[in-house]
Amino acid sequence: MDKFNLYVPNFLPFKEYFIPEKNHACPGCGLALAIRQTYKALEKEIEKATWQPLMSAEAFEERLDIFEMGKTEVSFLRIPKGKADIILCLDNEAGGSLSDVLEKPMPSIAVAEGFHYVAAACPSYPFDLYAKIKRGFQTEGKVYIHILCPCPEEWKFDPELTVKIGRWAVESRAFPLYEVGGGVYHLTVETPKPRSLSDYLKAQKRFEGLSESDIEEAQAFVDNEYKRLLDTIQKYLDTTG
Amino acid sequence: MGLTIRFQKNMVECSLLEKGLGKPFHPGDRREWTPEWDRDRCIRCGLCYVYCPDGAIYRTDDGFFEADADKCKGCGICHRECWFGAISMVKEE
Repeated sequence: MDKFNLYVPNFLPFKEYFIPEKNHACPGCGLALAIRQTYKALEKEIEKATWQPLMSAEAFEERLDIFEMGKTEVSFLRIPKGKADIILCLDNEAGGSLSDVLEKPMPSIAVAEGFHYVAAACPSYPFDLYAKIKRGFQTEGKVYIHILCPCPEEWKFDPELTVKIGRWAVESRAFPLYEVGGGVYHLTVETPKPRSLSDYLKAQKRFEGLSESDIEEAQAFVDNEYKRLLDTIQKYLDTTG
Repeated sequence: MGLTIRFQKNMVECSLLEKGLGKPFHPGDRREWTPEWDRDRCIRCGLCYVYCPDGAIYRTDDGFFEADADKCKGCGICHRECWFGAISMVKEE
């Protein structure tokens, strides 16, 4: 068995900055998992982080209002670095209908607004998330990272499925992981054989009442969005050579 | 309903960032299930450590992993994510 000894944590720093003694999160919280992995990537810098309420006057000045949230509630974590900040959007899709949930316009808005590094990440792919936050921290200028955090309470699934549901969201192409910045615009996790969207939706009891035609419509919407993303990437590659 | 979600979310957010808010408590007190490691099957890969949302899993000196009973909330993610089925969830007495 000795030759199979691969120490996965050895790729991540072992020091734990996350203090769980006061952690009021529910069991299996995707948000807590995302924050813990962010802590590992940022190490000491995390002490400067603050939650950014969306509607405050300050946020208005900083033009956070450009991100149209639809009806879901998201949280913003702002981490100062050098001249500009990192804005982490922790999206647990609270209180949204199916169409609100599947539509994620924020990263593309950030790209259009001229952010220097934009990425979509999910705690189910910890090394991907770690690398993106590290890269965001090293990039000069404004950084926006959108993180999908599965929420067992709000999405109504078993807490032990948190990581799996996040992975299904990526595999079914409902939430493609990609990054833009530093001359690259590419998918970081390829899905050559996509999982059907109904697997992802039916695992969550909040979508219990959906009919087959609703799911087909959602599948068509997701396929269309994915195609648009690929087109955007192709256009970017064509213009930059 | 929206207000309750907002309130709960704020509470969780504040406690996660550790700004002196929230009383210290023992998250493990309300646990129903406890993870247990089968050391014959464990290859010490550490995936359970990476995926634990509460940071409850630590590495022992001999390279195996164990859960801190005080921090573990018994969500079962480690049991789900273990490739080799080395972690079983045992009902608390």
